[in-house]
Amino acid sequence: MRARTRIAALLGALALAATACTGGSDGDGDGGDGGVAAAETVRILAGSELADMEFLLERAADETGVRAEITRVGTLDATRMVVSGQADGAYDGVWLATNDYLRLHPEAAQRILTETSVMTSPVALGLRPEALDRLGWRPDDLTWSQVHEAAAAGDLTFGMTDPTRSNSGYSALISVTSALSGAQSALTADDVAGSAARLRELFAGQRLTSGSSGWLAEAFQQRDDVDALINYESVLLSLDRAGTADLEVARPLDGVVTARYPLTTLSSASPEAVEALRLLGAYLRGADAQHALTQETLRRPVSGEVAPADAIPQGQRRELPYPGSLDVADGLLDAYDGELRRPSRTLYVLDTSGSMAGDRLAALQDALRRLTGADNPAGQRFRDREEVTLIPFNDAVVSTDTWTVEAEGREDALAGIRSGVDGLVAEGETAVYASLIEAYELLAAEGAQDAFTSIVLMTDGENRDDVLAADFQTFHAALADEQRHVPVFTILFGDSDRAELQGIADLTGGELFDAVNGSLDDAFQEIRGYQ
Amino acid sequence: MRRVWGILLGVLLLAGVGAAVVVGRDTDDEGGGGPATVSGVIGSEKAEFFADPEVVAALADEGLTVRAQPVGSWAMDDVDLAGHDFAFPSSQGPADALRADHGDVGAPLRPFYSPLVVLAHRQAAEVLAANGLASLEGANVGRLAMAEYLAAVEEGRTWQELDGALAQDGLSGALYVSSTDPLTSNSGALYLAAASFVANDGQVVADDAAIERTAPLLRTLVRVQGTQQSSSDGPFRDFVSGIGNPLVLAYESQVASLLIGGAGAGDMVVLYPDTTATSDHTLVPLTEGGRRLGEVLTNDPELRRLAVRHGFRPQGATAEFTEATAAHSGYLRDGLDGVRQAPVPTADVLRAMAERARG
Repeated sequence: MRARTRIAALLGALALAATACTGGSDGDGDGGDGGVAAAETVRILAGSELADMEFLLERAADETGVRAEITRVGTLDATRMVVSGQADGAYDGVWLATNDYLRLHPEAAQRILTETSVMTSPVALGLRPEALDRLGWRPDDLTWSQVHEAAAAGDLTFGMTDPTRSNSGYSALISVTSALSGAQSALTADDVAGSAARLRELFAGQRLTSGSSGWLAEAFQQRDDVDALINYESVLLSLDRAGTADLEVARPLDGVVTARYPLTTLSSASPEAVEALRLLGAYLRGADAQHALTQETLRRPVSGEVAPADAIPQGQRRELPYPGSLDVADGLLDAYDGELRRPSRTLYVLDTSGSMAGDRLAALQDALRRLTGADNPAGQRFRDREEVTLIPFNDAVVSTDTWTVEAEGREDALAGIRSGVDGLVAEGETAVYASLIEAYELLAAEGAQDAFTSIVLMTDGENRDDVLAADFQTFHAALADEQRHVPVFTILFGDSDRAELQGIADLTGGELFDAVNGSLDDAFQEIRGYQ
Repeated sequence: MRRVWGILLGVLLLAGVGAAVVVGRDTDDEGGGGPATVSGVIGSEKAEFFADPEVVAALADEGLTVRAQPVGSWAMDDVDLAGHDFAFPSSQGPADALRADHGDVGAPLRPFYSPLVVLAHRQAAEVLAANGLASLEGANVGRLAMAEYLAAVEEGRTWQELDGALAQDGLSGALYVSSTDPLTSNSGALYLAAASFVANDGQVVADDAAIERTAPLLRTLVRVQGTQQSSSDGPFRDFVSGIGNPLVLAYESQVASLLIGGAGAGDMVVLYPDTTATSDHTLVPLTEGGRRLGEVLTNDPELRRLAVRHGFRPQGATAEFTEATAAHSGYLRDGLDGVRQAPVPTADVLRAMAERARG
């Protein structure tokens, strides 16, 4: 009995070896001797800033036979997908700037099989040389406390990604909260509460916010009235090297939070995918890949054999710990969203022409209603202190209604917005430019505001009015700085004209969001990161 | 080409079946003839060892193809081990627990071991030495005074309170050693084992009273760190990359492997805690194939040599390790004289300690 089992086991092993050999005879099989053959393709959910690693993944495919199929996503969205199990089966691995936020969820331990550090980059401050001169600072001995003082005095403006959407913004938020609270170790709820006043003063200097670091860099390039950019050291050094922006990069002495980019295998991955990810990780950790990634992307290598690229500054910096509990981590996000950041002033210019009748109007109403849930996580609803205006239009603007969300009476304001959304009616034609002009005129009439002001334009068709694109351009060029800097985030939907909406986004420094190939719901959610 | 493979396969198959039949008849003796694929889970710090082509070849010479999946040593309990031939955690505690769960295919084998060390950059090590928390025995090697270090962490000492610490060297904020999650990772658990042994007056923690007594210190050691990484490779790579906390807990094998591999360690100073815990890499066989893997790792001279190249100290004589690291004695100690080895509590006690510490 026992002998028979053993024979079966040995035959099984031989069968396995035979499959491996057959695979090898077809050419490039580099899977090693026996064992499980590596999958040819692995599906990886990756942070959007890893787009610059595409070249190395192509090289990896040539060298290892493993092709990485990348789906781009924000860190926090990826975390939700992994924790909920939504990523299981759809992806084999995740590759984010950090797994720290993910690891705060107790469920994560079962979802993650293994991880391999690939490279590192601290979140740093990039300053225009003029600003550095004006403030009399040196990149080598700058502190977040100095940054706070300068911003509080109105002497420094900066851009940073939205911490509820993007890891670089969240890392920066941990850094400044640690520095301004004087915390000596991992942050606590008391540290967050105790430094709120100083953090508000610091964030008064924030002029640009965004859901992704790519858009932030572009916007920074166009806004020479913004002095500094907070982002990964690698992004800042790359912008400087490419000549996109002239930047001096400082890692503040009171501490940084560093991205580690662990290539992570999900527990749900098949044995073949696990093996493929192991090969990919081993390749990325090899000397050739480490050399290429530091030279090309200006991140720091994790291999002792490879020196960092020359442009990367030397010297140690204090590493600030990531909060040790989800309560503290999420509490920090809630505080930022609700009370620390500058408030939002948001105008929704919404096409309610006849063509919107039926499903389209229903989809629009659903997407907007979703932003009015009082219990939604930070970044997924209209935030406290936000002023929201709904401007439905057809042949002309139909109505202009404004609500202000406050922590006290929050539910009433959100209910008000919901009733405004419920009351939308689809009829008439489409006057895109005339309505947009009215939105800007409303802002001009309100005068200067200390807020992130932006306009969302959603239309399902082309402009059918005699106020044309050229008229809007003329109007826009004549606006005061204050209003001319207000970006329009356009949403492509139904039969709308991509070129027309792209043109508006480009002219105003906004961005186009595609709800034809994606969902209207996702587009409205994503735009929250820019408001 | 395909035909050659076909013929070869035929031969292999025949030989394999032959060997299998012989094994089947030969009561319980070891076969050793046909190639066998054995699969198992390993602590992540052995992943590079098993992926090394020379290790693969040496194992193949012994008729073994090994498929090794890295999993946190203390998380192996939660992994479904059906279909696996062995589990190879990095400590005896989880090995004992696994053995209790999976019956007895053979005694666990301990082919190699590695003590825990603390890595520091030069300036950090000098500041520790100047303030009585460490002593340096050379430019790149020294000793960490555990009792003094633990007292400093418990008091919440910061770097800026120590003489000579500069923020330009990253030396500000709370003084602590970065370790890994003690619930899932071996090095993090062993750190608690060593610290609790010191805090418990040189007695291994074995009962609720001692768990209670040492809990506040262990809680502090973990809490200051915030989120911890899940495997020892993470903090070590941070250190090599020039980022992260100034003091990092590592296995001596990680440093030795880096040095033997020819990569420079720069201004790294290896501090051997005067009381430390050692990672006893313990293979728990689940099948005959797994048992055989444990035996060849323990006895085969070539595999012992390769284990040393990956920084491990083979069980038994020290000559192999001493010889291989002779050129790096500026960083590594030859023997471990004067380094007190803290015994590791049982898996249950250590888990209870880790849960209290994580709070």
